[in-house]
Amino acid sequence: MTHSLHRRGTRESLEKDFVVLSCSAKGFNDSVFGEKGKEFLRICLRHNPVNFGDMKTGNFLYIDPEEIIARVSNTTILEVTYDNKQDVVEVIRELKEADLGISVVISGLHDVVEDIVRQAGLKRIHTREFSLGSHGRLELLPEYEILEFTTMCGHAMVASGLVKHMIAQCKLGRRSLRDAAVVMGRCCSCGNFNVNRAQDLLARNLKRWVADWPVY
Amino acid sequence: MRVDASKCVGCGRCIPFCPVEARRLGRLPGNGRVTLVIDSDRCVECGVCLRSGICPTDAMYQETLEMPRLIRAILSDPLIEFKATGVPGRGTEEIKTNEITGRIRFGHAGVGIEMGRPGVSTSWEDVQKVTRAMAKLGVSFCEGNPVTHFMADRATGDLQPDVVKERTLSAIIEFDVPLEKLAEVLRVLQEITPKLDTVYTLEVSCKLHPDGSFPVLPIIEQAGYTVLPNSKNNLGMGRPRFREPGEEDAA
Repeated sequence: MTHSLHRRGTRESLEKDFVVLSCSAKGFNDSVFGEKGKEFLRICLRHNPVNFGDMKTGNFLYIDPEEIIARVSNTTILEVTYDNKQDVVEVIRELKEADLGISVVISGLHDVVEDIVRQAGLKRIHTREFSLGSHGRLELLPEYEILEFTTMCGHAMVASGLVKHMIAQCKLGRRSLRDAAVVMGRCCSCGNFNVNRAQDLLARNLKRWVADWPVY
Repeated sequence: MRVDASKCVGCGRCIPFCPVEARRLGRLPGNGRVTLVIDSDRCVECGVCLRSGICPTDAMYQETLEMPRLIRAILSDPLIEFKATGVPGRGTEEIKTNEITGRIRFGHAGVGIEMGRPGVSTSWEDVQKVTRAMAKLGVSFCEGNPVTHFMADRATGDLQPDVVKERTLSAIIEFDVPLEKLAEVLRVLQEITPKLDTVYTLEVSCKLHPDGSFPVLPIIEQAGYTVLPNSKNNLGMGRPRFREPGEEDAA
């Protein structure tokens, strides 16, 4: 149901994590979405995204941004990730002025999103989706600190084993924190993975972890 | 996903990329050379290993999949478009376009049960346990959702027999319920949870009502669930707008 909703982390960390997305509405604007979607991305790109992508094409960590924009089709989902509130305010304000007529969604902390909506000049939120967390055999999940990385890709394309592998590589000095974050981010083709937050999480936690798994 | 053992050099670099840990190193019979072994029962055909480009010898390849195994790729690889919706992704438009479609209305809640998420994967036997339990409550499964599409009988929640033995990285059960039925849905879900051999992640959505409230919140709280501090929010900027009586524009 939703790719950007169930991100885990502390409030301090989630305050630097927003996904702004747009999706065509089947039977309503899916014959004209393509050009509007391209404009949506151009506006979003003016406000310092840390990642972005098209679910049908991939993300800008491995595809040229202009190519992603050129390939936007009438039936797709476009996702843009930011690491600070003010950039999102500016994006929504510009999208409001552009009045593209396509749906815009923000994933983020409830109260921070409400503040963004106010500051951007919108009246209110239309519909909200709440996360009620995970249930069932929770012992099958990796450690919470690993989930903070992996849940930045709701499609689970960033494997918990890859996160551990990147931690080990950073500890061994084989990769920089940035490089490790980008390796993880490339797996999340939609562009939802917040590479700056991943880098912060690596930096915050690196000394706490002991890499007791095989390093290939 | 398959590996060409004649090309694989057994470096193991692809192993960490697999979300379901379906890979290990083994030895070829005969010459004893080390090579990658993929557990095809465990592999959900998500394709992330291939897309990573990590293999130094291009030893991995995606074989052509037929049903029912094809369902693994449809539900696990986000780059594959599900033909019924025409949109990539495992669910539907849900709240993303609600100001246009009017799919979730005042007095109703959208429910999503994301089986196998985050990152555990799920058997479709487990998916069927939940669809059957929800069908008994008379919920209306969402059109255009892959799980709904692969149902044999929406009234019973029975899935098509050939897909029940499959496994996917996730499977999202989506439906709409009147608010007065939400508590019962959550209660039944709690009852069935110990019978599942996987995890699921749960979401509930609703429109902001004219009085400024989200009426699902007290129901969720009373059912014993905790709402996470982050949410997904439709800003109401799309057109043409679906309006209910007395509803003002959000944007």
